Amino acid sequence: MAMIKTSNLIKDYPMGKVSVRALCGVDMQIEEGEFVAIMGPSGSGKSTLMHIIGCLDSPSDGEYCLDGHEVSKLDKNDLAQIRNKKIGFVFQSFNLLPHLNVLKNVELPLLYAGLSSRMRKIKAEEVLDSVGLSDRLRHKPSELSGGQRQRVAIARAMVNDPAILLADEPTGNLDTQSGGDILEIFSQLHQKGNTVIIVTHDPAVAQRAGRIIRIIDGRITDVDLPA
Amino acid sequence: MSISLLESVQVGLADIKMRKLRSAVTVIGIILGVMSIMVVLSIVNGMNTATLAWMNERGGLTRIVISRNWMYDQRKGGQDHFTLNEIKLIRDMIPEALAFNPTIQQWGMAVRRGDLSYSTEVVGVMPDMVVIEEWNVQTGRFFVKPDVEWNNNVIVLGSTAARELFGGLDPLRQYVSIGDQQFMVIGVLREKLIARRGAGKAIAGENALEYLNRRVFIPLSTMLHKISADQKIDRIEVKAATTEGAQALRQKLDNIILNLRQGRDVFAVTSAKEQLDTMRQTSMIFTAIFVLIAVISLFVGGIVIMNIMLASVKERTREIGVRIAIGARRIDIFVQFVIQTILITLSGGVLGIILGYAMLDLVGTYLDVTVIASTGMIWTAIMVSAGVGLLFGIAPALRAANLDPVKALREE
Repeated sequence: MAMIKTSNLIKDYPMGKVSVRALCGVDMQIEEGEFVAIMGPSGSGKSTLMHIIGCLDSPSDGEYCLDGHEVSKLDKNDLAQIRNKKIGFVFQSFNLLPHLNVLKNVELPLLYAGLSSRMRKIKAEEVLDSVGLSDRLRHKPSELSGGQRQRVAIARAMVNDPAILLADEPTGNLDTQSGGDILEIFSQLHQKGNTVIIVTHDPAVAQRAGRIIRIIDGRITDVDLPA
Repeated sequence: MSISLLESVQVGLADIKMRKLRSAVTVIGIILGVMSIMVVLSIVNGMNTATLAWMNERGGLTRIVISRNWMYDQRKGGQDHFTLNEIKLIRDMIPEALAFNPTIQQWGMAVRRGDLSYSTEVVGVMPDMVVIEEWNVQTGRFFVKPDVEWNNNVIVLGSTAARELFGGLDPLRQYVSIGDQQFMVIGVLREKLIARRGAGKAIAGENALEYLNRRVFIPLSTMLHKISADQKIDRIEVKAATTEGAQALRQKLDNIILNLRQGRDVFAVTSAKEQLDTMRQTSMIFTAIFVLIAVISLFVGGIVIMNIMLASVKERTREIGVRIAIGARRIDIFVQFVIQTILITLSGGVLGIILGYAMLDLVGTYLDVTVIASTGMIWTAIMVSAGVGLLFGIAPALRAANLDPVKALREE
C-alpha cells in the first residue's frame, strides 16, 4: 500500500478578490521506504505540496491519503496528532527553539505526545546519539555549527519514529561539506527503511533520491528515476 | 493527549527567565494593585477587630442601652427622664435581664483629696454596673445593695483617677470629697485597655478606652440625694443573658418605653449587636470604595500585561509555528500562553503581598488606625492576581493558538 497517495489535489489561495491556484490537480504516490525528491523552481507549488503532505495545510479539493488515513477532511486537532506521530519536519533554517538546549529541543515532540520526562530524556538521548551529538546535549543551538543544528533538527524529526521524514531544502543554509553530511544521514535513514521526502531545487541534492518528482506551475510534469 | 500542567508551568517559567526585565516591568501594575488590596483589607480587618474588641471590653453583644433620643423633637412633649417608679416598673417587667443599671453621668466635677483636685466624670450607678461592663475591681470591692439603699458615701475609682489622686499610695479607706460630701474609697477598678495596633505591634500610649479609667463611681442614690438633686435618670444600661436573647430583650424594652411615653420616641433603645452591625455597614462602604480603586489598578495592570503578551506572541510567531509543526495542538499553545500570563501576574501578586505587608506598619502609623493582616487576605490576593492573569491571558493565548502554521513558519 502507498504511504502517500494524492488524487487531483487542488489548493487555492485567496488574494484579495481573486484566488491564486497553487496546485492544479496533483496526482502522486509515494511508497513506504522510498527516498523521493520533489523538485521545482520557486513559485512552482512545491512548498504548498509539502505543507499539505506535512498536514500543516489542507487542500482546497482532492484527496490525500497518508499511511492509509484520509487526512484531507480531518480537523485541526487530528492533524496535530498526525504531525506529531507520523511526520518529522526538517526545515531549511533549522527552526530550533533558541532558548532551549539541544536535548530539550529534541524532547519537544515527545512532550506534545504526552511522554513522561524520564522517557523523553531516554528517547531524545538515544536519537541524538545516532546523529553523533551525544556530547552536545546541554548546548544551546547558538553554540552549534549549521551542520550540527541541522542534525539536531533531524533528531527532533526522528524522535517520534514518524512514518515520513519531510525535509524542505535541508541543505539550503549549509556549506557543501556539512550539506553532504546531512544528505548522508538522510541516505542512512532511507537504508534503515524510513520514507524520506526532500523538497529542493538543487539537482545535486535530488540525485541522492531514488526518484524525482518535478513540479512546475502546480502540476507534476515529470517523474524520473536517476540512474 | 495533552501537554501536562506541570510542563506548561516549566515552559512558562523558562520564558519568564529569558525575558526577566520585560516580565518585571509588566507586573508593576499588579504589584501596586495587590499591595493596595492587602493594605485596604488589613485596615478593614483592623477596624472590625478593634470594633469587636471594643464591644467585648464594653460588655459584649449582650449589652442594651436606653438613652435620650437626640433626634426627638422636645416640643412634642413627653418626660425626658425616668422616675424612680418607672425604673422599678421597667426592672420588674424584664426579669430575664441579667443586669440592670440606671445611671447618671456628671461631667467636669472636681474630686478633691486635700489640696489635690482632679476634674473628671462622676457616675452614679447600681451594683450591676460591673456586671454590664464586665469590669472587675483591682483592689477593694464594688458597691453592694446596702450601699445604694443607705445612700452610703462610698466611691470606686477608675485606675487613672486613682493614680491621679493617690499616686503610688494605697487609696483604700482613704477619703476624697466631691462638693461638700466626703467619700470613702472602697475599691479601684482594673484598667480597661484596647491598644491601637500597627501590623500586630501595639502603639505605645494609645488606649481607646482611657476615658473609662478616668471615671469615678458612686452609688446612684447617693448621687441623686447628696450630689446633684437636679440631675435626672435618663440612661439605663441592661445586660441580656445571651446574645440571642439580646435582640428579643431590646424589642421588649422598646415596647415598654414607648408605652410609658404614649408612643413618643423620647428614648432610643440600642443593642450592642445593632451598633456593631451599623459600624460594619459603614466599614463595608469604605471597603467597597477602596476595593474598587484596587480593582481599577489591577484592571489597568491586566491590560498592560495583555498588551505585552500580544507583543510577545507576535515576536514568537515562528516558535509557535514550529511547535504546531511538531505536533502541538491549539489547546497546548493556548494553555502555554495563559499559564505564562498567570505565572507573571502571580509573581507580581506575591511581590505585592510582601511589599504590602512591609507597608502595613507605615500605613497604620500614618493613618492612626489599627491594621491587621490575615492569611485569608493573602489567599485573596493570590487568587485575584492569578485571576487577572487568566482573564487577560485569554486574548493573547487565543491569538497564538489560532496562528496559521504555514504563515507562522514563514515569519522572520
